[in-house]
Amino acid sequence: MKLKNLPLRLVKGGPEQQAIEAGEIDAIIDHASSNVILLPAARRALQEAAHEASKANSLLAALPHAEHQRLLAGLEPVTLKFGEVLQEPGSPVRHVYFPVDCVICLVTTPEGPEVGLVGYEGMVGISLALGVNVSSVRALVQASGTAMRMKAAHFIKALSQCPALQRELYRHADAKLALARQTVTCNCFHAVEARLARWLLMTSDRVRSEEFFLTQAFLAEMLGVRRATVNEAVGPLQRRKLIANTRGKIMILDRKGLEAAACRCYTRIAVSAPSRRGSSAARGLASSP
Amino acid sequence: MSRRQHKSRARGAPVTTVVVLRLYIVGGAPNSVQAIANLEAICQEYLKDGHKLEVVDVLEHPRRALAEGVLVTPSLAKLSPLPAANVVGNLSDKAKVLLALGLRK
Repeated sequence: MKLKNLPLRLVKGGPEQQAIEAGEIDAIIDHASSNVILLPAARRALQEAAHEASKANSLLAALPHAEHQRLLAGLEPVTLKFGEVLQEPGSPVRHVYFPVDCVICLVTTPEGPEVGLVGYEGMVGISLALGVNVSSVRALVQASGTAMRMKAAHFIKALSQCPALQRELYRHADAKLALARQTVTCNCFHAVEARLARWLLMTSDRVRSEEFFLTQAFLAEMLGVRRATVNEAVGPLQRRKLIANTRGKIMILDRKGLEAAACRCYTRIAVSAPSRRGSSAARGLASSP
Repeated sequence: MSRRQHKSRARGAPVTTVVVLRLYIVGGAPNSVQAIANLEAICQEYLKDGHKLEVVDVLEHPRRALAEGVLVTPSLAKLSPLPAANVVGNLSDKAKVLLALGLRK
């Protein structure tokens, strides 16, 4: 391994240099530039990991290999934590996010209610694909996890060079529009219990698990109701053994039963998902039970 | 009373000391993954519950690594009990790690 460009602070023959020579080091912290410099082997491993992770997002996985590879150069894996705000209404879109195992909910005002939910089947920042660089929604992390992030400028450039990505994103934009329309109708006309059941099912689809964390305070915000109302809606679902709820952890015990308790919007949203119309994107969501 | 206590210690009654460790890594990088596995195995074998391990990902917290003078990753720091010690590399040299942790006579 060439040591020419490494920081001079490492003592010649010292333990750090010995470990570098033995190939046991992943990164060097350059105190002069305050940077973490990844060594080639570590960089390669991280790129490969990022490549694998990006395949877990249906939009990215649907791209042909060459286009996927080209796009990968601008993607970086980031860890998103519950409550983090990725975009605010009226603010410029600086990054787009392709969730891998996290869930982002979209709201129009800080008080909610929800107008959309994005998981591994989609992306946050779709307005950029439609030529608008200002967000119209607040994107809030509902379930922590990993996402692939890309700078807005890089995304716009990639989009212009990648017809397959354009196609996937237009389909996704249409599906999101359908979801928003259905959600608005649902929020206006359906009972809280049915809306709650729908929201839990949608979340479960996107985290790909029957267990997830959602506090009642958060649910109240998303459904646009008081916390006491959420309590009243959770109670019957628990009594019918459809869900269990302990300390913010929700467990879906009877999925079929919960689907029956949810309003028909849940099925309609699933039907309007791009996968049902022939796209390869979001195949996982469509096939989820 | 206090004298009796002193006596029992002198006879070799075990004094539980918690070993405080901090491992600086790059999450997902091969040597870091190996270092975590090696250290966990050593802790399991020699320290059981008598240790506290904090794993710091320098890509997520570069400022911590800079502030704490870390030069390379993976890098293990024994913070307590004194004397403090450091081991760099993927910790595959078990003898070296045990020596640094003060577990090897």
